[in-house]
Amino acid sequence: MIAQRDIFFDTLFEYAKKDKDVYLIAADCGAKSLDRWRNELPDQFIYTGISEQHTINFAAGLASQGKKVYVYFMACWVARCFEQIRYSCAMAKNNITIVGTSVGLGYHPAGPAHEPTEDLAYMRSLCGLEIHSPCNNHMTKGLVDLSYRESKLRYVRLERTQPKGFEDLYMSFNDSFIENGIFNVKSKYNKSNKNIMILSSGYMLERADKLYQKMLDNNYNVALTDIWKLPIDYKYFESISKNYDILVTIEEQSLNGGFGSNVCEIVCDMDLNKQVIRIGLPNKYIFDNGSRDYILENNGFDLESMYNSIIGRLK
Amino acid sequence: MNLKTKSKDVRKELFKFKTSTGIGHLASTLSCVDILTSLYLDDKTHFNHKHDYMIWSKAHGSPAVYPILADLGYFDKDELDKYCTPEGILKLHSDSSIPGCHFVGGSLGNGIGYASGVAHTTDKEVYVMLGDAELYEGSVWESLMFISHNNLNNMKLIVDRNGMGILGKTEELLGIEPLKDKFESFGFIVHVVDGHDFDDMRNVFSSDEFKDSDKCHVVIANTIKGKGVSYMEDVWQYHTIIPKDEDLLKTAMEDLS
Repeated sequence: MIAQRDIFFDTLFEYAKKDKDVYLIAADCGAKSLDRWRNELPDQFIYTGISEQHTINFAAGLASQGKKVYVYFMACWVARCFEQIRYSCAMAKNNITIVGTSVGLGYHPAGPAHEPTEDLAYMRSLCGLEIHSPCNNHMTKGLVDLSYRESKLRYVRLERTQPKGFEDLYMSFNDSFIENGIFNVKSKYNKSNKNIMILSSGYMLERADKLYQKMLDNNYNVALTDIWKLPIDYKYFESISKNYDILVTIEEQSLNGGFGSNVCEIVCDMDLNKQVIRIGLPNKYIFDNGSRDYILENNGFDLESMYNSIIGRLK
Repeated sequence: MNLKTKSKDVRKELFKFKTSTGIGHLASTLSCVDILTSLYLDDKTHFNHKHDYMIWSKAHGSPAVYPILADLGYFDKDELDKYCTPEGILKLHSDSSIPGCHFVGGSLGNGIGYASGVAHTTDKEVYVMLGDAELYEGSVWESLMFISHNNLNNMKLIVDRNGMGILGKTEELLGIEPLKDKFESFGFIVHVVDGHDFDDMRNVFSSDEFKDSDKCHVVIANTIKGKGVSYMEDVWQYHTIIPKDEDLLKTAMEDLS
């Protein structure tokens, strides 16, 4: 399967060929798709080295002159230039698209320095920034179209590995759909008095899907929902979740301020009468060896643990 | 135009609106008044305020340009009296909402990188005002490496070398010398000038080499923090202190007249 980052930069390449105002800035992160940029569009491809702070400032300066600027580096390094994103982009209203690759535990076993497991919390605290977490290549391509079409400060979180079973989702959609940021992937009514909506994104959709199936097997009414945009649109969320009184969020993040927290904020702010059950990484940095799935299995994301933690809390 | 007289007027205006509100970094603005007077008001220097950019990386010093911008018609002079009030447009750190200013201010080490992005895509001259203690920021050196490698020769970097940080002299706090050698080692053409001597600054700011060079220039302007007010000059405690005693205000106005 083609990597999300290659889909992103190949799609963007087609825009850049026709539009000299499109710039791609790479701060020391590779991808096969970058070769074409270097060879065929050298004036629109800029290497800034391992210098995330300068990279964002430079990108902001380009954007101030009307350029469509994309910055590419490992997702973990957005923490390293948080101030520059806040100051030179968000505060100064210089819109760029930051493309961070390998979110969550995607680089495991590289260790927690390479694994952004709190990035949703700190990035969504910024005023005016939109976060996108595409689960597959179709959505990734759609986000390139969206970012080219509509100027906004964006952080696109790309997966190193895509969730199995979602490859064909979003093969076609219209412009307004992608901006909704939420989609009920599937749902089934089982004549239970418990209506449960499981919400997740990116790689974690695969685990959320297994949980969905187990809930169905145990006769609950269940929906599986992909949320690829933060902050979540309040009105749209209210509409899509109206038939569900139990919301289960599954994220490969610390629970301190992440995706589940955004859901809690909506439930609170809109006085929605719903129970929220959040499942996320333990509040610690994980140094253990093993694959991404091994680490997830051993940190609360095995199917039985997820299922039992929900059942134990159902009101 | 008599530049010395003009810069005294600027300092006087600056002193008045800073002391009337008690807000900001008076000493850091006083050190760079003559540099700005040279750039904006000396007809012989190359900086063209109608065409070129002045990016304040050291934005706490940016109120120094307000009296000059008012003189040049960017906004009404009575805005100086409304500095940092709800009715006014002038702020402690300049930002792009203020006519004649181009970037948000207040976070050191970032204006230079932003300016490099502007310079990369424009044929205008992009001047950057840096503080010397701002050079402690690592992001500045990331940007310097990039500017030099990409030969952004439409950038003009000015260091207001008043020799002080918030807690004292830079060379006692955390040395940044040899500064000229450091810039030269990065590939810049470096000039060291007396930042209070208009002839010295004109020699650089008006030279053909400065305008049409194939390399980026750095001007280290040696200045005095608190310049023009006798009791403030080179006294580090005045970084954050704005005089308010009647005697001090009177002495300052005599110094600046």
